[in-house]
Amino acid sequence: MNYELGEAVISLRDINKTYPGVVPLHVLKDVSLDIRKGELVSIMGASGSGKSTLLNILGILDNYDSGSYILDDVMIKDLSENRAAELRNRMIGFVFQSFNLINYKNALENVALPLFYQGVGRRKRNALAMEQLERMGLADRAHHLPGELSGGQKQRVAIARALVTKPSLILADEPTGALDSKTSKEVMQVFRDLNDAGMTIVIVTHDPSVGAATDRIIRIVDGRIETNDQLSMINDKRLIIDC
Amino acid sequence: MKTSFFDIENWREIGATLARNKTRTFLTAFGIFWGTAMLAMLFGGARGFEGVMRRNFAGFSTNLGGCFPNRRTEPYKGFNKGSSWGMTVQDVELIRRLAPAIEYSTEMNQRSATAAYGTKTKNASVAGVEGDYAKIMIPVISEGRFINHSDVSLERKVAVLGKNVATSLFGNDSPVGKYVSLDGLYFLVVGVASQLSDASIGMRLDDGVILPSSTMRRACNWGNSVGFFIYTAPQGRSPSENEPVIRRVLSSAHSISPDDRQAIEFVDISEQFEMIDNLFLGISLLALFVGFGSLLAGVIGVGNIMWIVVKERTQEFGIRRAIGAKPLDITIQVLSESIMLTLVAGSLGVCFGALVLGIADRVTYDPLLGHAGFELSFRAAIIIVALFFLLGSAAGTIPAIRAMRIKPIEALNDK
Repeated sequence: MNYELGEAVISLRDINKTYPGVVPLHVLKDVSLDIRKGELVSIMGASGSGKSTLLNILGILDNYDSGSYILDDVMIKDLSENRAAELRNRMIGFVFQSFNLINYKNALENVALPLFYQGVGRRKRNALAMEQLERMGLADRAHHLPGELSGGQKQRVAIARALVTKPSLILADEPTGALDSKTSKEVMQVFRDLNDAGMTIVIVTHDPSVGAATDRIIRIVDGRIETNDQLSMINDKRLIIDC
Repeated sequence: MKTSFFDIENWREIGATLARNKTRTFLTAFGIFWGTAMLAMLFGGARGFEGVMRRNFAGFSTNLGGCFPNRRTEPYKGFNKGSSWGMTVQDVELIRRLAPAIEYSTEMNQRSATAAYGTKTKNASVAGVEGDYAKIMIPVISEGRFINHSDVSLERKVAVLGKNVATSLFGNDSPVGKYVSLDGLYFLVVGVASQLSDASIGMRLDDGVILPSSTMRRACNWGNSVGFFIYTAPQGRSPSENEPVIRRVLSSAHSISPDDRQAIEFVDISEQFEMIDNLFLGISLLALFVGFGSLLAGVIGVGNIMWIVVKERTQEFGIRRAIGAKPLDITIQVLSESIMLTLVAGSLGVCFGALVLGIADRVTYDPLLGHAGFELSFRAAIIIVALFFLLGSAAGTIPAIRAMRIKPIEALNDK
């Protein structure tokens, strides 16, 4: 499937972030970045390089000190907690390394939870959640608790939860970090399939094989974007990318 | 966006969360249950205890005052110290006319006599009273009637027998309409009476014989002498309000020094009952204090548990915040759990307290005196549950605010 990339979903300009302390830690330094609609991008870097901070800012989980961040035409700056929660719910789907499923809720309830916070009625949100579970091939596991699922199944439930609100982008933090290599490949294939269907996906990883499976690798070294490699040819995709 | 409070998912989740830590939930709920049950039992129990105690005075007017003559303790107008004087019917009439706070009153004379019917005899206290006596000390009339105003004004030779006297003289037969002898004088029995409680004036009614006061004076050849005078003050007035008038009337009529307070014995029983009222008030306040203490302990327990719950579920709240929960959603979730716990356990506690009170009320029921009052009114039950609702909300507020302030990024990193 071939896609032509659309306008920027994420646009960062000169983002700086410093954690205060006895010795202030300047984690992100003048980070500028565009991620276009339909891209599958990986952010790579060593531990402490600032990649998680960048993901948190992209996910409106953390604030930045200076610069500008536009997410799907919305300026993300000095948002109230409520507005931030609303934007996270509506525009971003999160996938975490440790799945972060609520362990006393079954797969269907976990997937339906973001819709609960949108005020969607129970019947409708269950139907939408089941749709996503079917998409992930987990319809028969809908009423199982996370403890009864394998790692790969848990991560697919988490991906279904990320997709259920039809967000503008998926942010995945080390999504294969807790999985074996076979399951990792399966999960990455899920991301590829979603991307093929037009979903914008940003994956933070330190695993080169995960990075290699994406269209573009953004390398962060010491809080700066070091390289912004075009991998579309590797992934056999004919893309027009303007970084 | 509608609030998550009314979504069934919220309530299912609360049930699931509480059920996950069964022991902890049970112990916390038991604290609240016991707190409300204690409050309900102490609140209703104090009233019931008061009811049981008040039964001892049933039928006895507590707003009671009276006076009777004593020896002079000061020489005055030619009368020596230690000389005696007597109260009269005229004194009583004057007091009734001048005293500002008399509702019901009666003169009273008393002596002992041998009551006889046929071959059976019984020593009994005999009292001469007026018709209002039955309004000051309400008797239980088991047969016939009590002494009335006509009996007094017409000096009828009628008598009301105390229950025990009637039984001694007549066995199971009815004495009404028959004549009994009191020290040789015959009186027509018009009624049989007994006391409702243990409280009495001068003698125990069950063991006595009541005559019209005028008849007794004449029968005993006492002229217009009155042994003592008793009265009740109207509701909200004190019997002591009449004391100055009583002293003035008796002092001037019988040449008693105005400063000789012991020559005229004045009693105000309402003061004793006021002390008892204060005692009951003290008991009620103590019960409430202890009850609220138990309740507070239960509520603090809830607050404590909710605090632990918030600490335990920090990461979960972080996940929820990451996927779109607003701070208020988290607050509502924590508060809902706290309120649910307090409301359910509190309601059960109130029901248990009401059940125990109901059993106590049944056990202390007296066919003659009725229920003691071990009960919790519906209003009081609602107030206790509402109070628990408020305190439960308050207990959950601080942990809920803490949960609300958790930053999603910090919560997600919480291990």
